[in-house]
Amino acid sequence: MTLEEVFQVVKKNIYDILPFLAGKEIVIESSLKDLGANSIDRMEIVTLSMESLNVKIPPNEFADVNDIKGLVNLLQEKVNG
Amino acid sequence: MEKPVVITGMGLVGPIGQNINEFTSALKNGESGIGWLEKSSASSITVKIGAEIRDFSFKSGLLQYSPWDSQYGEGILQRAEQCAHRSPLTVQTSVLSALEAWQGARLHQGNISPYRFGLVIAGNNLNQQYPFDFYQKINQSPEYLNPRYALHYMDTDHLGTLSEIFEIRGEGFTLGGASASGNAGIYKAYQLIQWGVVDACMVVGGLTDLSPLELQAFYNLGAMGGKHFCNEPGKACRPFDKRHEGFIYGQAGGCLILESLESSKKRGVSSLAEILGGSLVLDGNRLPDPSEDGEVRAMESALSMSKVSADQVDYLNTHGTSSPLGDETEMRAVRRVFKDILPHVWINATKGLTGHCLCSAGVVECIATIIQMKEGFVHPNVNLENPIDSQCRWVGPASVQADIQIAMSNSFGFGGINSTIILKKGTEYR
Repeated sequence: MTLEEVFQVVKKNIYDILPFLAGKEIVIESSLKDLGANSIDRMEIVTLSMESLNVKIPPNEFADVNDIKGLVNLLQEKVNG
Repeated sequence: MEKPVVITGMGLVGPIGQNINEFTSALKNGESGIGWLEKSSASSITVKIGAEIRDFSFKSGLLQYSPWDSQYGEGILQRAEQCAHRSPLTVQTSVLSALEAWQGARLHQGNISPYRFGLVIAGNNLNQQYPFDFYQKINQSPEYLNPRYALHYMDTDHLGTLSEIFEIRGEGFTLGGASASGNAGIYKAYQLIQWGVVDACMVVGGLTDLSPLELQAFYNLGAMGGKHFCNEPGKACRPFDKRHEGFIYGQAGGCLILESLESSKKRGVSSLAEILGGSLVLDGNRLPDPSEDGEVRAMESALSMSKVSADQVDYLNTHGTSSPLGDETEMRAVRRVFKDILPHVWINATKGLTGHCLCSAGVVECIATIIQMKEGFVHPNVNLENPIDSQCRWVGPASVQADIQIAMSNSFGFGGINSTIILKKGTEYR
């Protein structure tokens, strides 16, 4: 899977969980927090994205993830790994 | 403790109406919400009949209230969507009924201090369907269990969600009293206002979303009806009829705004009803069996607190679940309380139309009582063909015009929990 394909999956989940972003563009450099996601929203986006991509990543591996790009990179690595 | 407490707003999402106007016309017309259960997860169980909320959409429900004219009001609607758009059905119905009550009480225009506002969530184990839906996932791929589960499985999710949406900062809690929860919640909120802890209080009767587990357990216990009438869902719920055979499950979320009369006058808001008093008494019994003595004490102590004598009561909204033991016990208790004036008191059972909404029943039936007082009618008992008592003033198969000044509403729960509230017709503010 390409980085862009993984990003599309994550983006779909972000729009589902944060309906107030409808019609607004989400760039890969932004952070979920800056987009207005609270702690539960963030964990839900991560879990739903893992499920959509059929990968299982232990929570501690997300410790260094600070933005959407980091999340997408980690997901892509697991998908392709 | 002479501080009059009034109800200034009410809202409801139920099987016979997803707002107060719809519920009012359904009560007038005697529309029943009881039909075949459509809950797909329940397809394998014996229970097939219930009064579910059908065609529910949180999003369209929210659109009923938008736009609210002030920035304050718009903030509430935005938070309602953000906080609850992914919440379970129980929380979403609480939110929508609360918005309707908030608007009815004209609170969307602001002006009661959030620190003087309370919140009581009436109900326990409201969300049983929610964990049931996740059983498969936890067995197959626990890593994909939605982390929201940790919030939504708790009844306090209603408390957190509603207090965030409506910015309520006073005293608040969930109050579990099984099927007496609704009345118990109204009574506790009334006391909070009487004691001066808060000036106003939102009371939410939470929709009790039973999973197939609870539905089947009630059936196996013998508490649920729908046996002889298994092919005629419309006839299965028949409170106080000789062919009653158990309760029929119903779904509703309801909300009331209670307020000191002083606060409502200051705001220039009419009262829908006054709460004259209430009661909450136990009969020392962990079983589902009702207690005649406990019910008599609930009714008598509510009357005594209200300084109302039984002969002043125009209307009784019974607990009336359609359970043979429950109906007969309540009938005996009612005879002891009302004695020779019983033939003068209008009697009906709202559960005959809505099914038994369990934790929210007290709130739903308080709303039904207020609607009947306001509109001057008593709603029909649609399946009451051969009443178990021939002396009562039962409402028949159609609504009847009635002038109700004072009403009593009963709610009794498994585990010996008995609660009664006494209401007086409201007054328009001039």
